[in-house]
Amino acid sequence: MVLGPLDLELAAGERLAVLGDNGAGKTTLLRLLATAARPAAGRLELLGVEATRERERLRARLGYVGHQLGLYPALTALENLEFFARLHGLGRERARPALETVGLGGVAHRRLEQLSRGQQQRLALARSVLHDPELLVLDEPDASLDAEGRDLLGALFEGRSVVMATHDLALARGLCHRALRLRAGREAGDPWGAPRAGGPSVRPREGAGPVPLPNGRAAGARALG
Amino acid sequence: MRFAGVMLAVAAKDLRCELRGKELLPALTQFVVLSLVIAGFAFDLDASSGPRLSPGILWLVLVFAGLLAFGRTFAAERDVGSLEAMLLTPAGAPAIFAGKALGATVLLVACEAVLLPAMAVFLASPISPAVVATVLLATVGMAWLGCLFAALAAQTRARELLLPVLALPLWIPFVVVGSRAVQVAMSGGGFGAWAPAGQPYAVLLDFDILFLVVSSLAARFVLDD
Repeated sequence: MVLGPLDLELAAGERLAVLGDNGAGKTTLLRLLATAARPAAGRLELLGVEATRERERLRARLGYVGHQLGLYPALTALENLEFFARLHGLGRERARPALETVGLGGVAHRRLEQLSRGQQQRLALARSVLHDPELLVLDEPDASLDAEGRDLLGALFEGRSVVMATHDLALARGLCHRALRLRAGREAGDPWGAPRAGGPSVRPREGAGPVPLPNGRAAGARALG
Repeated sequence: MRFAGVMLAVAAKDLRCELRGKELLPALTQFVVLSLVIAGFAFDLDASSGPRLSPGILWLVLVFAGLLAFGRTFAAERDVGSLEAMLLTPAGAPAIFAGKALGATVLLVACEAVLLPAMAVFLASPISPAVVATVLLATVGMAWLGCLFAALAAQTRARELLLPVLALPLWIPFVVVGSRAVQVAMSGGGFGAWAPAGQPYAVLLDFDILFLVVSSLAARFVLDD
């Protein structure tokens, strides 16, 4: 997928929903932001760090969940998190609270292959926040999640910048401050406002605050920096 | 320190997954035993010809068992997306690669723990400490090099075909020096028997250090670019 020129700025604590049809370039954009892919041209600065040069340093501050969950079927839920905690240079004791956060405390000793797809998705989300990242990059995090699981997303997003691809407009409205629509790898306007003709359009919105979730709770967004 | 911690964590994870999943070890054991049975019939081995042909059979079986073992090392990670999940931590590609190679080395050593006694039983091969030392020394370098090419091949669709094409030519030095050393050891020579002529153990150790350093340096470009 070729991603066209895109001028994207995200303020600290801001949440951006990336929308678009299949093949629009959402996953490519998210993989670039997660440092899983390198841009062929242009500049990518994340959290004040040049992303193509200092990937390892940046990765300690990023959390990513892609289409493939990247977990080990033969390991238990707890062992999966303990392993990734060690890769982050953290103690194993970080794993249990992360499991509890996503409601998987009761299945901590079950192997991944014995968990439902929704539980596996929750586990991947737990891994993405294990190291308390500043920026979360999530590719359709709502996939396979039940209603309770979707509510968890709001809690996980608390105090973090988030870029999230989704096909669920209601969820995006409930959790994110802004949205970016992609079409054929190019920006196709703000889906929550009027389409814009061109130029850098994705800017931090002034005064964005907590956004009401569909169920009436507040998502608890941090004030924009 | 951090490098060693990540390396051990990755190797321990691989071995734990293998012990639970039992994918590779039973297949390798079966391959080793069947190869020796086939060799026994194909060469019409008896008490006198068995020990004479043993070095050649040993290296043939070892090389193909290695291809089988190393091929799965990265392919399994790619299939579930867990290699990318590991790389998106600050652990660093060289440490992750070293862990994978260490795990593969242990697996091949486990395979050799079946192969060498089986050769003593089926082919009446004289297995001495010198033979064991030669095989272990060759295993380290072969594993590191094999894992590097396995990581490269795993990114292609024809990975099963590419790995032997890449790995076999560079394994030739191990086979040449190793088979000569095993030949000497099996004909009654001990650790010092070959020393004046060529010091095969020192040569194998040199190869190990060379390929260990080269493959670790190359791992970053193979895995993370």
